[in-house]
Amino acid sequence: MVTLVRQEIFKLVHKKSTWATSIILLVIMTIFAVISRNHPNTIDPKAIFVSLFTGFDWIVLFMIAAASSIISMEFQYGTIKELLYRKYYRGEILVSKWLAMVLYSIYFIALAFVYSLILKLILFNGTFQLSETYGNKHSILVTALYTSLSGFVALWLVLSLVLLLANLFKSSAAAISVGIIGYFAINVVSSMLIIAIKKWTWLKWNPLNMMNYPNQVISPSLKHMTLLSTNELLIGSLVYMVIFLGISYSVFKRRNV
Amino acid sequence: MADTILDVEGLTKNFGSKKVLKNVSFSVEKGHIVGLVGPNGAGKSTIMKAILGLFNYPSGKITLDGQPVSQTSHQALEKVGALIEYPGIYPFLSGLQHLELFSNDGVSKQQIMDVVDKMKMGSYIKRKAKTYSLGMKQKLGIALALVNHPALIILDEPMNGLDPQANKDLRTIILDLAKQGTTFLISSHILSELEKLIDDLIVIDKGQIVYRGDMATLESGSTRSMVLQTSDDAKAKDILSQNGYKLIDSDHVSVVEDETTKMADIIKLLSTNNIEIEDVKHVHSDLETSLLDLLKNDKVKEG
Repeated sequence: MVTLVRQEIFKLVHKKSTWATSIILLVIMTIFAVISRNHPNTIDPKAIFVSLFTGFDWIVLFMIAAASSIISMEFQYGTIKELLYRKYYRGEILVSKWLAMVLYSIYFIALAFVYSLILKLILFNGTFQLSETYGNKHSILVTALYTSLSGFVALWLVLSLVLLLANLFKSSAAAISVGIIGYFAINVVSSMLIIAIKKWTWLKWNPLNMMNYPNQVISPSLKHMTLLSTNELLIGSLVYMVIFLGISYSVFKRRNV
Repeated sequence: MADTILDVEGLTKNFGSKKVLKNVSFSVEKGHIVGLVGPNGAGKSTIMKAILGLFNYPSGKITLDGQPVSQTSHQALEKVGALIEYPGIYPFLSGLQHLELFSNDGVSKQQIMDVVDKMKMGSYIKRKAKTYSLGMKQKLGIALALVNHPALIILDEPMNGLDPQANKDLRTIILDLAKQGTTFLISSHILSELEKLIDDLIVIDKGQIVYRGDMATLESGSTRSMVLQTSDDAKAKDILSQNGYKLIDSDHVSVVEDETTKMADIIKLLSTNNIEIEDVKHVHSDLETSLLDLLKNDKVKEG
C-alpha cells in the first residue's frame, strides 16, 4: 500500500498542474491580503485571516478538480490496465488514490495555513494579535485552526461525493460540476434549506445540512437552524463519507476494464 | 507438470449474451514463445486480460506457476509483465519516469537503463512521453512489460507501429530472454514476424481454440507444391493429370508434392510431349497460408 501511495504521489509531483495550483493559491491569497491591508473597512483583516485569505475556498476548488481526475485520467490515458494487472488488488489501487488525495489536501491546507501566518507577520504585524479573542471565546489563531480542521471535514464530504460521481460517470466533467455546485450551493440554498428543515425535521439529516459543520464550529448558535448538534453534524458528515466511498469501492471493483 | 508456467482450463466469458470465450484450455511451458493468433474479435485480448486478472470469468481456472489467478487473486501476477491493446502513457511523465514508476523496489537504476539500451530508447527516454511517436510509445509499452524481469511476458500486438529495425531488435530481445528462461505469450497479425519467433501456436476463432500445438506440426500438415511455367500450360495440365499427378486448381500449373514426387520425372514427361519448361518454383506454405486454411476449414459456428 505504501508503494502504491508513493506511486500516486510520484504522478502528482510530476504534474505541472500540482505546482501551478499551489502558486495560484499563494498569489490569490497575497492579493486578498494586500487588498485587506489597504481597505481594512471593506475586507476585515481578522475575518480574512481566519479564512486563510480565501485560500480555503480555492483549495476546495483545486481539490475537486484533482479528485475528479485521479481515476478518470487513468481511463483517459489507458493506464488503468497497467495499474490493475499487477500483484495488487483492485481495492488497494482505489484506496491508494484516496490516500494520495488525503495527503494532497493536507499539503494544501498546511501550505495555506503557513502562508497565512507569513502574510499576517509581514502585512498585519501591527493590525491585530493572533492571541486576540475572535468571535466566541477562542483566539484568532485557534479560530483559524478550527476553521481549517472543520473545513477539512466538509471538504472531504464533498470530495467523497466527487470521487463517487467521477467513478460512476467515467468522466471528470460531471463530477467537477456537481462538486463545485454542491460546495458553493450551500451558501445559496441555506436559507431555503432552513425553512424546509423547520417544516420537515427529518430533512436535517440531508448531506447539504452537514456542510454547515464548519460554520457551526465557529458559530455554535447555528444549531437552532441546523437542528443538529455540532457533534451530530460531524458524525453525519463521516457517515455520508463512508457511504459515498463505500459505493465507489464496490463500483470500482465491478468495473470492466 | 513441473515445467508448465501457465495453465488455462475451461475458460468461459460472456459479454452480455454474447459468448466471447467458450471452454478455452491451453497450457504454456516455461521458456517457450507461444503465439496466439486468430481473426479480429476472436477473443485474443480477452484471453490475455483474463490471465492478467482484469475481469471475473463465470467458469474456468487459470493458474500461473501453480497459483490461481482471478480478479480477486492477483498475487501470482508479480511474475508477469504485459502490454495489452495499446500502451498506456501518462503525457506528463518522461519515458524514464514511467519505467521508474512501474519498476519494483528491487530493480536498480542500472537495470532500468539496461532495458532502455536494449530497446534503443536512450535518445528520447528523458523527453515527456506526450512528444513520442506511435512507435516510441509502443517501445515504451514493451519496455514497461520487460522492466521487472518477469517470468512470463504477455504482449498483445507488440509489433504495432514499429519500424523494421525496431522489429528486428524486438525479435532479438525476445529470443534472448526466452533462451534465459523467460516465457512469452504473443499475439500478432503480422504472421511473417511471429513465425520467426514462436515455438508453439494457439489459434483461436470465435472464442474457441481451433489449433494448439507446435509450429512444425502445423507446417507438416500443410501442402507443398511445385509451380511450373511452361510454353503450353493447358496442355501441360492435361498431361500431368492423365499421368496421375494431383493438380491444384489455379491459373498456373501447380502440382501437389509428396515424398514420391520427383522433379526429374515431371521434366521428362513434359519434354517428351514437346512442352518447354520455363520456370519452376517450390511453394511451401507459410504460417499465413496454413492459418488461413485452418480458419477456412474450421467448423466453429458463431453462437
